[in-house]
Amino acid sequence: MGRPGAVIEVDRNTPPTLFHHGEGVRLERLPQGSRIVYAPDPIEPVAHPERAIRRALGHPLEDDPLRSLLRSGMKLTVAFDDLSLPLPPMAQPDVRQLVLEEVVEMAAEAGVEDVHLVAANSLHRRMTEDEIRHIVGDRIFSTFYPDQLYNHDAEDPKGNILIGKTSHGEEVTLSRRAIESDLVIYVNLTFVPMDGGHKSLATGLGSYRSVRAHHTAETLLNSRSYMHPPDSALHQSCIRQGQLIEDTVRCFHIETSVNNHSFPAVANFMQKRETDWTPADQASFLAIKQLTDLAPPGVKRAVFHSMRAPYGLTSVQAGQVDAVHDSTLDTVRRQMLVEVEGQTDIVTMGIPYVGPYNVNAILNPVLVVCMGLGYLFNLYRGKPVLRQGGVLIMAHPCRYEFDSVQHPSYIDFYDEVLADTRDPVDIEEKYEQCFAEDPWYRQLYRKSNAYHGVHPFYAWYWAAHALQHVGDVIVVGGQRAAVHHLGFKCASTLEDALEMAEQTVGRYPSITHLRLPPLFLADVK
Amino acid sequence: MLALQYHRSIPAYALVRATGGHPSVATSDLSMLDLGDVPEPRPPGPGWMRVRPSVSGICGSDTAAITGHASLYLDPLTSYPFVPGHEVVGQLDDGTRVVVEPALGCRVRGLTPPCRHCAEGRIGLCENVTEGAVAVGLQTGYCASTGGGWGEVLVAHQSQLHAVPDRLPDEAAVLLEPFACCVHAALRGGASQGDVVVVQGAGTIGLLTVAAVRLFTPPRRLVVVAKYPFQREQAKRLGGDLIVGPDEVFQRVRFATQARRLDGLDRPLLLGGADVTFECTGSARGLNDAVRFTRSGGRLVVVGMPGEEKVDWGPIWQRELNVTGAYAYGTEMTGERTFDLAIAAAPDLALDNLTGPLFRLGDYRDAITYALQAGRLNAVKVAFDLRDLRA
Amino acid sequence: MKFELLSDVRAVRDGWRWGGVRPASWPEAGPGVPARASNLDWARQEPVRTLRWLIQRGLSAPFARAVTSLRVEGAEWLRDQKRPAILAANHVSHADTVVLLAALPDRAREQTVVGAAADYWYQRPMLGRLVGLWLNTFPFARTGGAQAVLHSSSQLLKSGWNLLIYAEGTRSIDGRLGKFLPGVGHLANETRSPVVPVHVRGTHRVMPKGRRYFLPAPVEVRFGKPLEARNGEGSRAFAQRVEDAVRALGDGSADREVMGTWIDRWRAAAPRTSRR
Repeated sequence: MGRPGAVIEVDRNTPPTLFHHGEGVRLERLPQGSRIVYAPDPIEPVAHPERAIRRALGHPLEDDPLRSLLRSGMKLTVAFDDLSLPLPPMAQPDVRQLVLEEVVEMAAEAGVEDVHLVAANSLHRRMTEDEIRHIVGDRIFSTFYPDQLYNHDAEDPKGNILIGKTSHGEEVTLSRRAIESDLVIYVNLTFVPMDGGHKSLATGLGSYRSVRAHHTAETLLNSRSYMHPPDSALHQSCIRQGQLIEDTVRCFHIETSVNNHSFPAVANFMQKRETDWTPADQASFLAIKQLTDLAPPGVKRAVFHSMRAPYGLTSVQAGQVDAVHDSTLDTVRRQMLVEVEGQTDIVTMGIPYVGPYNVNAILNPVLVVCMGLGYLFNLYRGKPVLRQGGVLIMAHPCRYEFDSVQHPSYIDFYDEVLADTRDPVDIEEKYEQCFAEDPWYRQLYRKSNAYHGVHPFYAWYWAAHALQHVGDVIVVGGQRAAVHHLGFKCASTLEDALEMAEQTVGRYPSITHLRLPPLFLADVK
Repeated sequence: MLALQYHRSIPAYALVRATGGHPSVATSDLSMLDLGDVPEPRPPGPGWMRVRPSVSGICGSDTAAITGHASLYLDPLTSYPFVPGHEVVGQLDDGTRVVVEPALGCRVRGLTPPCRHCAEGRIGLCENVTEGAVAVGLQTGYCASTGGGWGEVLVAHQSQLHAVPDRLPDEAAVLLEPFACCVHAALRGGASQGDVVVVQGAGTIGLLTVAAVRLFTPPRRLVVVAKYPFQREQAKRLGGDLIVGPDEVFQRVRFATQARRLDGLDRPLLLGGADVTFECTGSARGLNDAVRFTRSGGRLVVVGMPGEEKVDWGPIWQRELNVTGAYAYGTEMTGERTFDLAIAAAPDLALDNLTGPLFRLGDYRDAITYALQAGRLNAVKVAFDLRDLRA
Repeated sequence: MKFELLSDVRAVRDGWRWGGVRPASWPEAGPGVPARASNLDWARQEPVRTLRWLIQRGLSAPFARAVTSLRVEGAEWLRDQKRPAILAANHVSHADTVVLLAALPDRAREQTVVGAAADYWYQRPMLGRLVGLWLNTFPFARTGGAQAVLHSSSQLLKSGWNLLIYAEGTRSIDGRLGKFLPGVGHLANETRSPVVPVHVRGTHRVMPKGRRYFLPAPVEVRFGKPLEARNGEGSRAFAQRVEDAVRALGDGSADREVMGTWIDRWRAAAPRTSRR
């Protein structure tokens, strides 16, 4: 139990490899000599989560016990991470529910009347009632919704206040409610090393003015990678903003981490290595493959997005943000790190059906780029797994299909902006302001469940480092018109893609397959 | 002479309509069309000349009449039997190449004093189309006395004739008449430099309107709604900024004008929208879309000939739209004749790219069937080639 | 849409050597996923949930209602739940669970888990799976440490499930109410959930202890007003209060404390405002 991550070499006897293909699964045979990188097994969760949480709140790191900070008559704001993590969403009860219930219980004992619970969704979309209920649980939902439990509105002209500029001239805004509070508690779930720390409050309760200080093409180009904060310009900027926030408001951070048990029992085959598949897993795979091949898109989507992952809480710590976050990252890296010897010429990966920005919606082509060349490419420490100028092969249907409720600005970004240019710096210069200030997108962000007008730009900048680093991108099984519109090459099978890649990297290239999800952080030597 | 004639026959009309205007029925022996030997039209008086057509276009109004889709409003304004064909480039007896300006106004009919419209130069709106030297008819090609382009010979008044410059080949000159209509429409639309203009439809009329708007009233942004790939190519070449498909017109116009979009049960609508829209499809769908993406108080110019289309008048009323028709040509407000403007602009537009294929008169059934599906078949203007009929 | 079943089966068969030996070059097999206690997982996930919905809605609930000519009182307390509740019932016969589930309003029934004695129902795995599928049970250890059982029960409540437990711990032989175990009080205090007292009468004639088949007989189920632990009330005291409430329901008493006033019941049955 609890094997570390592994890099397996493919030989004659290796079974075929599972590739995610959007809302679908495939078996592919990688050429002999390829490497497959597997995530570590899920580490043992904490036996009694509620007890661990209470202990953390009673013995915080570099801060006073939470109970002593609460008193009757104070103004308390509790912010929490929205549903962009974990992915897939966690089975009930969510760890945030467990933490929030303890915090609320303490607040009730102390007699704190004025409590607001705010989903720190920054420029992400507002969550629906059901989604909020899923995160906070029935008890908190029925007690606080809707007056004291709500989504953060980054476009509220009176609700977001500029508190100052950092030493590098970055503007920092924070929600009015947070500034006026006596204590701001942040309940975080650090799913990947990018999350948490100072980034929580700086972006979560910020607005376009503060987020645009570091969500720029250049900053992200210089974040190599943003999954390893010491090497990330993005995080350096967030830390500066966060320090200004710490000086302005009294904060108390509670951070949690979970293991990588990402799939329910019926989809165990997605979690397990292929050599561990039992006959039940193989049957499960065949059943799900037939379902996804034959079912209409609506059914497929419903089935996939109803999956809930049985994550286990692996650590919880509370107190001063820097001390807390260092401890959290230790646990997260313990779960995620895999040692990989050297870079390769070709990296292959299957893009899963869900990313942070399309929970309960379709992964549109722009988000495919954000996932493949953004998040998944950047899951490294040190050097990328793919060498400079190498070829990235991703598997995804990549259809021209957008969710018109969640991603209205993405459609225009794809049609108008990408038709003109794909260079992140150009895009930022010519189009970002127009989208950010469009009154209709603003209205949809504030009243409907749409991502902010500027959000597709961030999705594209997320891939800036990869776009500069890779020699070529080939999409296997993608819709030709959409793939070409994104500026990539299209292949119908993996074999064809590997052959096409040889044009760029030469014959007999080295190939590494990243078998994710479950996610891991490649430590490349 | 050999000519294709259109006869007024109620049973034939009923039959053609019953089949929905299917080309094989609409061009058959049981239809209103008949190819045969008919007497040559005779010049009704001095100042009239014989013209031998070289290339004659097939227009949307012709195919609408043939398939029974034309508005019945036009029936009393036509005399039967007539030889269709009003987009004509031909030769005079002395060999001069001319293009025919089909409108039969007071001057052509020899009537003085001219009616108030002809006096202003708006000969397409002449009120005396029932009087004068020739029979009833708005244009050559809908008149029993003059003959038309789809025959060996037609007669025209000298005021109808314009010399065709040498550098304009016949295949380009045949588009001068529709181009003049579009120039007139563009000038009626009167878009200004800061406007967002939408041209809906990219058939002959749509593409020529794009060219006319670009030349005469260049706007801030020219959006063209084009369905087929060849149309999209030509629209771009002739001056469109943004070419969109009919399914995405609301989304793209919304973005181009930074409007707000509301989704209705049947169709969306924009709060805001285009300043001037040129409706060049003449279809119910096109008109219904156009009244919803043209901004309140904006102008909708109906250029493409519509039939009896079902249009929701609610948006027109609530948005206080200025809906205006654009028909034919004449003398514009600047004092120049539309045809002169068209002839001056045409040589630089390489209009002959839009013409093709050419058919012989004997192959009229294929020609008309092709013209009815032009967009899908990557064609714009289908025409008759009568040059080899000349001895 | 592509139909590749045959080639997929072939790929899996060849890849995993059906009917062959595990290749030596494969790394050591590991379980790959943490072993989970079976109480929380499969029975509460799709597709089992949909299957159960079909079985209960279509078959077992109408059948139970017909066989017992079921009479229900007090269902309005459960019609519009804001939070999950613990349903504390007396236990007379194996037929109790089916009958109680049939008596619940539809929405409450779909969100209800039943605590079934681990040493009885889960001894044989097939039986355990069967009741898990049909009645949405989870194993409730009657012996040994209470901690684990409390933990799994509280997890279920926190995940939005109503919990139906037979607080006497076993079926009554003579039909009279036995002493309630304090576990019910612990659970309520730990999770701060309301407890709904439930009394079922008549099932001892349907399927008494010892008989393996069932016979039709009239059954009456009464739900009482939800009870909440008072500040500082100990678990035992609260469990006693719940026991008294269930007894009062069984006596047919119209005690206001137990059945609530008509005003309480009227307000509990308030029409649902539309969600959107």
